Amino acid sequence: MGLRINHIRIGLILMIVPVVLLALFPFIGVPRSWLLYSFNFFIYLAMANMWNLLAGYSGLISLCQPAFLGLAGYTMTVGTWVGIPWWVGIICGVIVASVFAFVISGAVFRMSGIYFAIGTLVVPEALRMVFYLWRPVGGEMSGAGAGYMVKGIGGVSSSTIYWLAFVVGIGSICLMRLILTSKLGLGLALIRDNERSAASCGVNVFRLKLYSFIIAAAVTGMAGAIYYLNQGYIEPSSTFNVRWTMSLLLATVIGGIRTEEGPIIGTVIIVFLYFLLARYAGYSLLIQGIILIGIMLISPQGIVGILRRSRYYRHLTRFISEK
Amino acid sequence: MNSDIITPVLMGIMLGGLYALIANGLSLVFGVMRLINLAHGDLVILGSYFAYAILTLLGLDPLIGLVISVPVMFCLGFLIQKYLMSKAFAISSETPLIIAFGISLIIQNANQIAWTPLSRALNTTYAQKSFFIGELQLPLIYLFDFIAGIIVMVLLHVFLKATYLGRAITAASQDRRAARLMGINTNRVYGYAFAIAMISAAIAGVFLGMTFPFTPTSGTSFLTIAFGTVIIGGLGSMLGTFLGGMILGIFQTLGGYFFGSASQMLIVYLIVLVILAIRPHGLLGRKG
Amino acid sequence: MTMDEVELEIKNIDVFHGTFQALWNVSLEIRRGEMLALIGANTSGKSTLMDTISGLLHPANGTIEFEGRDISRLDCHEIVALGITQVPEGRHVFPEMTVHDNLMIGSYSPCARAKTKPNLERVYHLFPILKERRKQIARTLSGGEQQMLAIGRGLMADPKLMLIDEMSLGLAPIVIDDLFKALKKIKETGITILFVEQNVKRTLQETDRAYILETGRVTLSGTAAELREEAKIKKAYFGLEECV
Repeated sequence: MGLRINHIRIGLILMIVPVVLLALFPFIGVPRSWLLYSFNFFIYLAMANMWNLLAGYSGLISLCQPAFLGLAGYTMTVGTWVGIPWWVGIICGVIVASVFAFVISGAVFRMSGIYFAIGTLVVPEALRMVFYLWRPVGGEMSGAGAGYMVKGIGGVSSSTIYWLAFVVGIGSICLMRLILTSKLGLGLALIRDNERSAASCGVNVFRLKLYSFIIAAAVTGMAGAIYYLNQGYIEPSSTFNVRWTMSLLLATVIGGIRTEEGPIIGTVIIVFLYFLLARYAGYSLLIQGIILIGIMLISPQGIVGILRRSRYYRHLTRFISEK
Repeated sequence: MNSDIITPVLMGIMLGGLYALIANGLSLVFGVMRLINLAHGDLVILGSYFAYAILTLLGLDPLIGLVISVPVMFCLGFLIQKYLMSKAFAISSETPLIIAFGISLIIQNANQIAWTPLSRALNTTYAQKSFFIGELQLPLIYLFDFIAGIIVMVLLHVFLKATYLGRAITAASQDRRAARLMGINTNRVYGYAFAIAMISAAIAGVFLGMTFPFTPTSGTSFLTIAFGTVIIGGLGSMLGTFLGGMILGIFQTLGGYFFGSASQMLIVYLIVLVILAIRPHGLLGRKG
Repeated sequence: MTMDEVELEIKNIDVFHGTFQALWNVSLEIRRGEMLALIGANTSGKSTLMDTISGLLHPANGTIEFEGRDISRLDCHEIVALGITQVPEGRHVFPEMTVHDNLMIGSYSPCARAKTKPNLERVYHLFPILKERRKQIARTLSGGEQQMLAIGRGLMADPKLMLIDEMSLGLAPIVIDDLFKALKKIKETGITILFVEQNVKRTLQETDRAYILETGRVTLSGTAAELREEAKIKKAYFGLEECV
């Protein structure tokens, strides 16, 4: 009995301490680069977790993420131009992204596996065209198309923005745990195993996938809105850009698709890579592509796959999950 | 007003030849290996850049330059299939898609590094000329695209029907296990199919480059067009792909005519999305 | 031609599907020119055995020797080139190709290509209806015609040994009779046949020797006469008999 209490204590401590530390970063005066790194880490983590939810757990290889984060970002930004405070704008952005996901789901889910990938690839491209041609509130920042600065955020402290990111990032981990242990998670596991037999067991395949899709859209949208809040401006070609998808894919795949720890590990690495390669911005996609292919062929289960083969790792995770 | 509309319709029809050219490779790979090669558009653009390199560095006309680029692209395709794709298929059903995605971005980035994001075009003398049908003036290159599309379609059709390798590819696309039991080395056949798709991409790249300017990121647009063509035309039919190309071409040019040329690609995207949603198995041709 | 020469010898093979063991220590011997039956229900592992001989699967242990040569590590197309052809369960004709094209694909293997013409004649002679329908798309054929096509296709590969998996599945008795007559003619040309069936009574009528496969193991083997007497068969299978 005493041993079990030790397990729990160690497990909890191992998880809570770093989280608390991260939360306190703005206070304890860490270097600015650390804050920047952590900020990006949280944003990408949230998005990577959501991509993992879709591709890893729901069988939906979605290339559609830029659409969600872009729509939410634009909603918030355009909102600030018409007098809606940024934090309300974020909430609206989340709603817009979710509604969008709902609207296209009817069409997009009729496409099976491979068609789904192309369909979701096309959606952000189409949106990029749309925002290129359409200027929702006139007055642009640069070039053609809707490039906007985010208004009215002068008074927002960077700590606030940091903590928003923190909430979204850590929240996504908790959300994943929640989903996976819920009925939704069970249903998704069944669908992944064998869609047809799941359907014959009474699992409403469409509805479960829809839930995943909307949740992913909402959280991705939120992370996106916060990202653009921090950046201060938004414009179509970098927003609805496949680079986002590549980063999320890479993060999840490097870490380990279909695992809870995978996106965490993967995001740590790719944000690190991002800063490392900042000097070689021209080559970043090239390098990411090569790494992606390398990992998929060498260790398809990612780093977690490698780790799981070691006994120490298995003991560690058993510690943590024994509650 | 009426005669004005004929111009975009004719251009759309001829453009269909180009689109069919672009789509052939995608259709072949999809039909045989059930792989949506997300990198296909970028491979076509690679063909365009290849031709551009040969034109600017060697001064060779792009069509003549094909003599160089076709064998190179053929080998490249064979290697990609043998060392990347075949391994990917063995891992899981999602892996080939992700690998193709990776290849796509690698090619895009490589082109960007080599050629900068500036748009390029294959400017040959004949590509600039026009020809006349009655009173209508049409770009000559569109006619060349159309003819090339027909020629390649016929060649591919004959290849698939009349040669042992072609028949093996067709058989493997209809029933992989049975094909293996016939003594067909499906891995090798897939390699050839991919390589042939690359040849088709090389040719398509040349004609594309002569018709439109292109940038490193053009690949995605043309992937969408190719995909739309295959979807409309249905699988397994070279003629279907051709018809699909024409239908898509007409929609695009008419869309540009009515809504302005800036929205042309958007219209294509919307059409593809709508068709994907309604009838992903294609309007013509057999079910995948 | 000695009837007793062993053409294919399977020695103690174990075959796995992933971690699931489908065949346990299976041994089997096919003699040149004979028509050998393998009797087993759906879960017996018979298709696994066929696929293993054909090279689609490989045994984890044991060997498979064809004309004295170990083929257990060879790839499928190499085994076809050596002269072993499988007519798969469910026919698996190429649905969108014509009868003629289906047959032509049968002779894909380099060694079979040279003899395409004579083999085609042989198939058309054996199954005249295929010649009649040679321009017809395969999926529009009836079940029996498709089975003939599948067998014909197998013959185009110029085989020494033909493996036929569940030929009579879903076919009317008259059609099955015709097919067995055709098999006899094929056997007379010197081709060895291993055929797999579920119907015990009918099978024992058509063959000299048989093996019984149950859940991955060979449980009985012997001549048809011996097996007919075997009490176990009478007990276990008589209940499943169709009224013939």
